[in-house]
Amino acid sequence: MQTESQDPTDLLCEALRSKEGGFVELRYHKKRSRAVVVEKGRVDTAQSTEHTGVGVRVHEAGTWGFASTDEAEVGSIRRAIDQAREAARAGASARKQRSVSPAATTLARGRFESSGVAEAAARSTESLIELALKSEAQTRGSSGSIRSASSSYSEVFEEKGIVTSDGAKAWTRLVRPEFRVVAVAEKAGDMQRGAEMVGVTGGWECLFAAKSAAELSDSAARQAVDLLDAGYPEGGRVRVLLSPAIVGLLTHEAIGHTVEADFVAAGSCAAGKLGTRVASELVTLCDSGLSEFHDGAGGTLAVDDEGVPTRNTTIIRQGVLSSYLHDRESAAQFGVEPTGNARAWEYDNEPLIRMRNTYIAPGSSSLEELIAAIDEGYLLEGASNGQADSNGEFMFGTRLAWKIEKGKKTKLLRGVNISGQAFEVLQSVDGVGSAFRWDLGSGHCGKGQPAKVDAGGPWLSCRVLVGGR
Amino acid sequence: MGTSAPTSRAHARFDPAAVERELGARCAHLVAAAKVRGADEAEVFGSRSRTIAVRFEKGDLKLAQVDEGSTLGLRIFHEKRLGFSSTNQADERALQHCAEEALALARFAPPDEHNRLPVARALALQAPLVDPALAALSVEEVVEFGRRVVERVAARDARLSIDAASVDLSRSTHSIWTTTGVHAAESDCLFSCSIGALAVDGQDVGGMHYEGDVVRTRGELERSLEHVADTVASTALGNLAAARGESYAGSVLFAPDAFFDVFLAPLVSAASAIAVQRGRSPLAGKLGSAVASALLEIVDDPTDRTLAGCGSFDREGQPAAVFPFVVRGELAGYFYNGYAAAVEGRTSTGHASGGARGVPGLGPHALCVRGGDGGTREQMVAALGRGLFVQRFSGTVDAASGDFSGVAKASRWVEGGKIVRPVREMLLSGNVYKLLHQLQRLSSVEERLGGGARAPYALVDGLSVTAG
Repeated sequence: MQTESQDPTDLLCEALRSKEGGFVELRYHKKRSRAVVVEKGRVDTAQSTEHTGVGVRVHEAGTWGFASTDEAEVGSIRRAIDQAREAARAGASARKQRSVSPAATTLARGRFESSGVAEAAARSTESLIELALKSEAQTRGSSGSIRSASSSYSEVFEEKGIVTSDGAKAWTRLVRPEFRVVAVAEKAGDMQRGAEMVGVTGGWECLFAAKSAAELSDSAARQAVDLLDAGYPEGGRVRVLLSPAIVGLLTHEAIGHTVEADFVAAGSCAAGKLGTRVASELVTLCDSGLSEFHDGAGGTLAVDDEGVPTRNTTIIRQGVLSSYLHDRESAAQFGVEPTGNARAWEYDNEPLIRMRNTYIAPGSSSLEELIAAIDEGYLLEGASNGQADSNGEFMFGTRLAWKIEKGKKTKLLRGVNISGQAFEVLQSVDGVGSAFRWDLGSGHCGKGQPAKVDAGGPWLSCRVLVGGR
Repeated sequence: MGTSAPTSRAHARFDPAAVERELGARCAHLVAAAKVRGADEAEVFGSRSRTIAVRFEKGDLKLAQVDEGSTLGLRIFHEKRLGFSSTNQADERALQHCAEEALALARFAPPDEHNRLPVARALALQAPLVDPALAALSVEEVVEFGRRVVERVAARDARLSIDAASVDLSRSTHSIWTTTGVHAAESDCLFSCSIGALAVDGQDVGGMHYEGDVVRTRGELERSLEHVADTVASTALGNLAAARGESYAGSVLFAPDAFFDVFLAPLVSAASAIAVQRGRSPLAGKLGSAVASALLEIVDDPTDRTLAGCGSFDREGQPAAVFPFVVRGELAGYFYNGYAAAVEGRTSTGHASGGARGVPGLGPHALCVRGGDGGTREQMVAALGRGLFVQRFSGTVDAASGDFSGVAKASRWVEGGKIVRPVREMLLSGNVYKLLHQLQRLSSVEERLGGGARAPYALVDGLSVTAG
């Protein structure tokens, strides 16, 4: 796959010249991907895609207009600027209150490239197909109980140029590979799934830093087989130990969305709570465009889609709510600095307030100490999906559960869904592990548009509602 | 291709026949390019769309947007090896690169004897799907419809807060061209509306409720928007003052949306012929067997013009036809695309799914779960007597095992056959494939689910309900 390219911001600056007027933001976005999916020895997908264009956003007549072109050349971009202005004027009649101009801030200039771009691009298509074929075969062959297995690899190369009429001129490049393996085991008509998935911003060194493809394949197969003999937990409100992946889901779904400034303005349960205690003092929760503790977190980006350099935003500091997440418009409304959270999925999408890498900071306890402190409860591992509501109520799926009895981890049970009110759960935290893991780098967050995010943390001891039988 | 079309006043007239001709020619050109480069078989699926989108935040207009673009997806087989590439670029260099990429991928994939494109079959073409009156709406008119629907919600009650709302007018054309003689094109125009709203009363923040709909004709538009606005408003208000419910095991009443998510989605997934062939479907060997109570009738109906999935052909250009899926509780058929059909030496059922940016998948077009004799929503609530009425489900359903667990959203507690209060933090769990046999009653009324499917209210016994 080719990696050489020209700085697209020069083209955008040329298009912007002679287009004076209100605020204009031009975003060139080239997105190339390769993907391989193998199931039962058959290559179901071997594909490459390329989707390129320029998104134009203008602030005009007290509102926003957006248009796009898939022709990255000066004439087409200028026409798109005119069309975005027309769209804004068409929408202005329905606008009750004029929207504020984007907050002034230090904007990014220069070239920003994540690690792994050249390495991933140099990797042959053949090697990607081999990886998926080998992993699937290993998973399928690991037990006589495995009925089906699949393995997939995908990578997305993103190149963006962002130029605004108030000074941003940034060229960014990154690569995000993902690897998944799924096993289905069967015994007497009962089918159980095991799955492992990883995703990073960076190269394969990051992708397989914690576990190799072979180890991930083994783990998925073992989960599926072990779950065939596992029972169901009992339901009820109990103390649990949440794995880093589930802590990541909690921070992203249940807390992170409620502190997105657009959601706050709509009345989320975090509205009006800045400066108040919302969690145990053991809890410090952040959202960052960087990748703290370990390289390669899946939502890492140097510059957001408004040209704002990203940074680490502390949302909850030792239990006290300290910041919301902002784009330039909400920052102006709230009278604060933008936090670099404006993100767009493709060139024809407007930037929205989105999270990046969201996490709870590590504490001081070992996993063994956390288990020993629980008389009766569950250790929950493996996040499967999750959703949260405006009132902070959340629901997460977990893949594996172990009973904890008298400070000991005992029998394996089938994964359960857990539920609770996010801030009440954070208030109940009485133990925070010392080891940290990013563990939500595969898959996407949905909010009208997908977004690549990551989340994680240490093991966390808290009380939640467990759905059982 | 090109930039966004001129907005509103000079709104370009939509000429479906002209767009279909132009897109078909581009598909044919890329098929030829792939053949020249060595593909044994080639298929190009092209899509072109023009969308006017208006977004609202916090009850006020946020942004008006106009986009137009097209994508071509090329699937080739070379020595029975698969390769796929797609591009949204129209220039000759990009098209040649697309063909090269697909061939390069195919060189490394292992051969599969079932890799072949379906041959052309006669299509029973739908009457044109595009309503010219809907397709001609200007940006200003779309903005105005959006403003009205948001105003209607806001006017209902001062405690309502609209998190986000959007209205979209999308004109689209799909075309498919293959070396096996499949040449087809069809255009459509849909107006969609979605609103997410919550009610806030002092410290009481109600659960968010989302509602959406899709219509295909100008004549349905006002009624659809009013329905979306009124439903989201009444449900969000009804979520206020939610109290703790009670744990129990027994019957639960599911609104159509929740019934579909919990029970139908895994059933459809398990009925994929590929899932059956690969040993990951619990429906393997169940053709003609009871998979549910005899009350359950499901048909996939791509001729239903009130549903978004209506169309004449599938992603591989095979005819889309009415397909009985579950008849009197018995499994009547699996869903096949071209590949799954080739494995069994039969013809596709026309269920190849997806778009131009990926290889064909497998899935239904427009599922319709037939209503029963349970009467209205109120009669279904009365039939429940005492227990939980779930309007939305947020959770995990495993299609392989059928196990599900999740939260009942916008749920209501029923006593004496009447809804008495909203309840919160209610967890549901059970096994789909077992519980489908415990279906007790289906309402006579059916509701459209976001414009994409149709289902009735369902009373199901045997659930485990855990209160928070």
